[in-house]
Amino acid sequence: MIIQTIMFYAFSAVAVASGVMVVSARNPVHSVLFLILAFFNAAGLFVLMGAEFLAMILVIVYVGAVAVLFLFVVMMLDVDFARLRSGFLRYLPIGALIGFILLAELILIFGSWELAPSVATAKAAPMLVGGISLTNTRALGDLIYTRYIFAFQTAGVILLVAMIGAIVLTLRHRVGTRRQSIAAQLARTRAQSVEVVKVRVGEPVDGV
Amino acid sequence: MHSFAPPALLPALPELVLVCSAMLLLLIGVFRGEGSSRLVSWLAVLALVVTLGLAVRVGLEPRVSFYGMFVTDPFAAFMKTLVLLGSAVTILMGMRYFEDHGIARFEFPVLVMLASTGMMIMVSANDLITLYLGLELQSLALYVVASFDRDSPRSSEAGLKYFVLGALASGLLLYGASLVYGFTGTTNFAALATAVSSGGAPSAGLIIGLVFVAIGLAFKVSAVPFHMWTPDVYEGAPTPVTAFFAVSTKMAAIALFIRFLVEPFGPLLAEWRQIIVFLSVASMILGSVAAIAQSNIKRLMAYSSIGHIGYALIGLAVGTSSGIRGVLVYMAIYLFMNLGTWAVILCMRRNGQMAEGIADLAGLARTQPGLALALAIFMFAMAGVPPTAGFFSKLYIFLAAIDAHLNGLAIIGVLASVVGAFYYLRIVKVMYFDEPLAAFDRPISAELKGVLLVTAIVTLFFILLPDPIVGPAQAAAASLFGK
Amino acid sequence: MAIVVVFLPLLAAVIAGFGGRAIGDRGAELVTCAGLIVSAALAAVVFYGILGQHDAQIIPLASWIVSGGVDVSWSLRLDTLSGVMMVVVTLVSAMVHIYSIGYMAHDPHIPRFMAYLSLFTFFMLMLVTADNFVQLFFGWEGVGLASYLLIGFWSDRPTANAAAIKAFVVNRIGDFGFALGIFTVFVVFGSLDFGTVFAKAPSAVGTTIEFLHWRVPSLTLACILLFVGAMGKSAQLGLHTWLPDAMEGPTPVSALIHAATMVTAGVYMVARLSPMFEYSATALAVVGVIGGTTAMFAASIGMAQNDIKRVIAYSTCSQLGYMFFAAGVSAYGAAIFHLFTHAFFKALLFLGAGSVIHAVGGEQDMRRMGGLWQKIPYTYAVMWIGSLSLAGIPLFSGYFSKDTILAASWAAGDAVGRYSYCLGTFTAFLTAFYSWRLIIMTFHGKPRADAETMHHVHESPWVMLIPLFVLAAGATVAGYFTRGFFIGEGRTAFWKASILVLPAHNSLGGVESIPAAIAYLPLVCALLGIAVAYLCYMVRPGIPAALAMRFRALYLFLLNKWYFDELYDRLFVHTAFVLGDGLWKTGDGTIIDGLGPDGISAATRELAREASKLQTGYVYHYAFVMLIGVVALVTWYLIPR
Repeated sequence: MIIQTIMFYAFSAVAVASGVMVVSARNPVHSVLFLILAFFNAAGLFVLMGAEFLAMILVIVYVGAVAVLFLFVVMMLDVDFARLRSGFLRYLPIGALIGFILLAELILIFGSWELAPSVATAKAAPMLVGGISLTNTRALGDLIYTRYIFAFQTAGVILLVAMIGAIVLTLRHRVGTRRQSIAAQLARTRAQSVEVVKVRVGEPVDGV
Repeated sequence: MHSFAPPALLPALPELVLVCSAMLLLLIGVFRGEGSSRLVSWLAVLALVVTLGLAVRVGLEPRVSFYGMFVTDPFAAFMKTLVLLGSAVTILMGMRYFEDHGIARFEFPVLVMLASTGMMIMVSANDLITLYLGLELQSLALYVVASFDRDSPRSSEAGLKYFVLGALASGLLLYGASLVYGFTGTTNFAALATAVSSGGAPSAGLIIGLVFVAIGLAFKVSAVPFHMWTPDVYEGAPTPVTAFFAVSTKMAAIALFIRFLVEPFGPLLAEWRQIIVFLSVASMILGSVAAIAQSNIKRLMAYSSIGHIGYALIGLAVGTSSGIRGVLVYMAIYLFMNLGTWAVILCMRRNGQMAEGIADLAGLARTQPGLALALAIFMFAMAGVPPTAGFFSKLYIFLAAIDAHLNGLAIIGVLASVVGAFYYLRIVKVMYFDEPLAAFDRPISAELKGVLLVTAIVTLFFILLPDPIVGPAQAAAASLFGK
Repeated sequence: MAIVVVFLPLLAAVIAGFGGRAIGDRGAELVTCAGLIVSAALAAVVFYGILGQHDAQIIPLASWIVSGGVDVSWSLRLDTLSGVMMVVVTLVSAMVHIYSIGYMAHDPHIPRFMAYLSLFTFFMLMLVTADNFVQLFFGWEGVGLASYLLIGFWSDRPTANAAAIKAFVVNRIGDFGFALGIFTVFVVFGSLDFGTVFAKAPSAVGTTIEFLHWRVPSLTLACILLFVGAMGKSAQLGLHTWLPDAMEGPTPVSALIHAATMVTAGVYMVARLSPMFEYSATALAVVGVIGGTTAMFAASIGMAQNDIKRVIAYSTCSQLGYMFFAAGVSAYGAAIFHLFTHAFFKALLFLGAGSVIHAVGGEQDMRRMGGLWQKIPYTYAVMWIGSLSLAGIPLFSGYFSKDTILAASWAAGDAVGRYSYCLGTFTAFLTAFYSWRLIIMTFHGKPRADAETMHHVHESPWVMLIPLFVLAAGATVAGYFTRGFFIGEGRTAFWKASILVLPAHNSLGGVESIPAAIAYLPLVCALLGIAVAYLCYMVRPGIPAALAMRFRALYLFLLNKWYFDELYDRLFVHTAFVLGDGLWKTGDGTIIDGLGPDGISAATRELAREASKLQTGYVYHYAFVMLIGVVALVTWYLIPR
């Protein structure tokens, strides 16, 4: 129990610290790397709560795909972050003030949080169906395809929209681009593509 | 979990039909290539009209499905009708515009259909999860269509701004939703209603959660001070898209706003009324004052829509059946007069270029009297001059406010509409009394003519036959309070 | 079917008005005429159906206003009264539509004209089939609008525009009274539905209401205010000045709106509201006195006018006076009967006059006519028929109705009845006089027009003559055949519950028992009038001029229409100008504008500039504003209160 508590605070502290660094790091590549660190710590927190599936998803999807994509984009684009950040200091005092007020208020709210009596036992307890404990993944799957089928399908439509959007906004048919036409390739016969030419020494070849 | 009863699909039939036809049209578009935009557009209009019929039919009685995540009732049917009308007319009005600008692509109607699906889900949301998913489905499609004219820097900028700020608003909304969940232990509206009404004085956390969700929704209806994106996005986006923003999205967002506040949090009326009153007053004042300085008609319409949302929110602040009826009537009339105005704005082309300045309207009464008359009707309606429909929509709202003893709100509303009348009537003055410029391009497309005619007739003759709008609005409002 | 009758003219108006360019002049004429003829035919069928039913039939159309205690819906009320009106309106309107094809043949805006006529007919039908005060008001204002549009139809003539505006403004005064009347009805009865109000009317007797700090009997107040509306629409004394000027409109318009239908709306309203008027003796007396006075007054002016249409216009005004004093003595049946016959003969006279004007190339001054009778014999004949009917010569329609009115007012026996009988009988003399003055000046004697005009005089085309013949037939025999229903023995069975006459007010029942001398006096007066006219204008044409010289003051008084226009001009228009000027320059310009709008609008503009400065265009500014909003709202809720 004590180890879990220590781990919880360690993960949390590192996560918050790397969050701060994401915003404040001078080098954008460092920012992205700190972001990845924050993801890892969040995954650790999930594991502590017994949500190992979510933890793995976080690592695989966010770290493995999203953050790496970020990294590529940041490295490939020559964005002058220093210039973008030039207004930062000017707005820092008032920004910090607003942020601080908000933080204080939210802490105040969490002060009033009462845990429901049943939560402590429900936390991290394996689900039981007919005496057999259900894995995290299986339990989620059961829910997603039944109780949350509507939400799941809607999320699918959202992804479709994202796909259409990406294509609409970026795909361009440039004139003169060479493309592979598989049908044309397969339809080619020997007669169309190969010609036997007799070459005489010292004379030019016809049609070349 | 193994005993799984499939959920009833009938309540979501309109959504299913719409999303399936959107995918079908996507396939048609992809296989027919670039030239298919007109065909796909017409089919999309057809699909939207069919969906509208289904939505009205399905919404006759309250039905809940998908384990309480989704609900249809007369309220949903009413708002879905408005949403789908707006979407169908947007596609109709947009056909010529996109062709003239060389950006006619079949994805536009498909995206509008998907956005409409999102809006319908918002209208029918009965759970915080459904609420958020509908909102995101709508917003994502909107981000894309806002920058649909991707070679125009203004359009791209509009899309990007809306995206960034929309993401911030979504974040706030999600944060609020998590607070609500944390303090009540449920995301379902019905369960929330029980939790709220049983638990004595509400905890501060729940109230703050409510505030955050309301802020997210206020962003979507562009209520002050969460309105800052509106003028820039309205100005930058392609005009039919702006019309879509001004009409359909407002319908869906206000519907969601109403349902979220009235259904689960009805007992907390005294608490959330303060937010709504604040948003309403700020929107009415800013909407009417800031619009005066505008010279671009699309920006003007942006401020106008902010102001109108302010009036509509008065009805929500009242929070009774008659107040909600006022909002619904207001939104329905807003739909017609706004669609008409946007149809006129789409007619404002000179030598193939859009003319968006208010000064471009000078002397329109002499060059194109029919168009000028139509715009004059809409402007009078927006200003709330009797006997146009706009007067009655405001009347219903103010009467409800006075009945609920929100006299201050009603007075501010009346004063704001006096200031607002200034810029609406200025347009009429420019059209009728200024020296005429060259006429706009002709001919006006048949679709636009039809839209203009129908909207003008509805706006002008609502006084004679208000029942087709007021009657269903009454039933819709009652259905929200009947449960 | 009644719905078709009412809405067919609207449909025709919409098609002709909006599609006029597409379907052309001929198409517009066909659509509107066909619409009206079908409507008239169906109206007859509907009316036949009404005769068989016992109670008023209410056809609900749609709910209209549901707000607070007001619950008003669109619906059609079908009973004998509205049935009679529907038949009259559609029939005359159909005739006028057909006539207009010929009369307006050379006009460049035919579709617009036909659309206005049909639109008017629709509003008139809405008015007569109204089942509540608001719908009545809707029709009332609608016909006013159509009348305005049609009077000013030739909008390039300044006089037509002035006349249209005058008609509109004068009617506003009446409508103001009417609106106040409706408000009073709502205050007193809490409903605007005819059925409810009529049922409650007896119980309102004796109640009072505070009006301008006086306690006044509520029912009387409501009735008199409503009657003010009727006075405006029906051009009764004081509010009559618009009607003669309205003759600036095309002649078919005068025939339809300013003779047969719209101006009779006031009479219709009083008859329709008989269940209210019956319980207020004061209101009835007011109606009777105003009606009797108008009858005499208008006829006296008609004697001295020279414009052929104005003579008929004053005649209309005078005949409306008859109808009102008939209503004033509770002889509503006789009033509607006179409305019915008057629609035929007055429309006939107007259309006949139109035919004359058509023949002489647009001339309206009788002093430049004369000697036309051989050239336009059909027109001449129908003008005779119309005049005989108007003068009340036996067997013609007008005789039965007018005679009954006079007899009933004598039979009523009270002071109002006697007053109106005396004035009405004298008016009969005046009526006959000016009618034959008109006929003789127009058709007989030496031609006073120039040779060029006389050469072109021609009979009107058949499309104009056929409506004239139809109306002439009505003016001749309609009264004889229908008198049994309207005023005779069958009247109770005919009117059923649509008109209420208290037993004590049964003046029509006493018609049979009045002295013979009283009964025949009006006829003698009429014949005398014809004889005097014949003497003055045929035998000794010098007499009128000599009389005019001798009694110059009286002549000028009549010629200048009792100086009503001048009086109004001095009293109201001039005063209003002075007052308005003063208020505008000192009150509005200096005080209010200086302090109010100009100051406020300058401040608002400044504010607007500031507000749009916030709109910098930077995303992070926007986001920051949002966050400030978040913090403000959250803080608001966390502050303990």
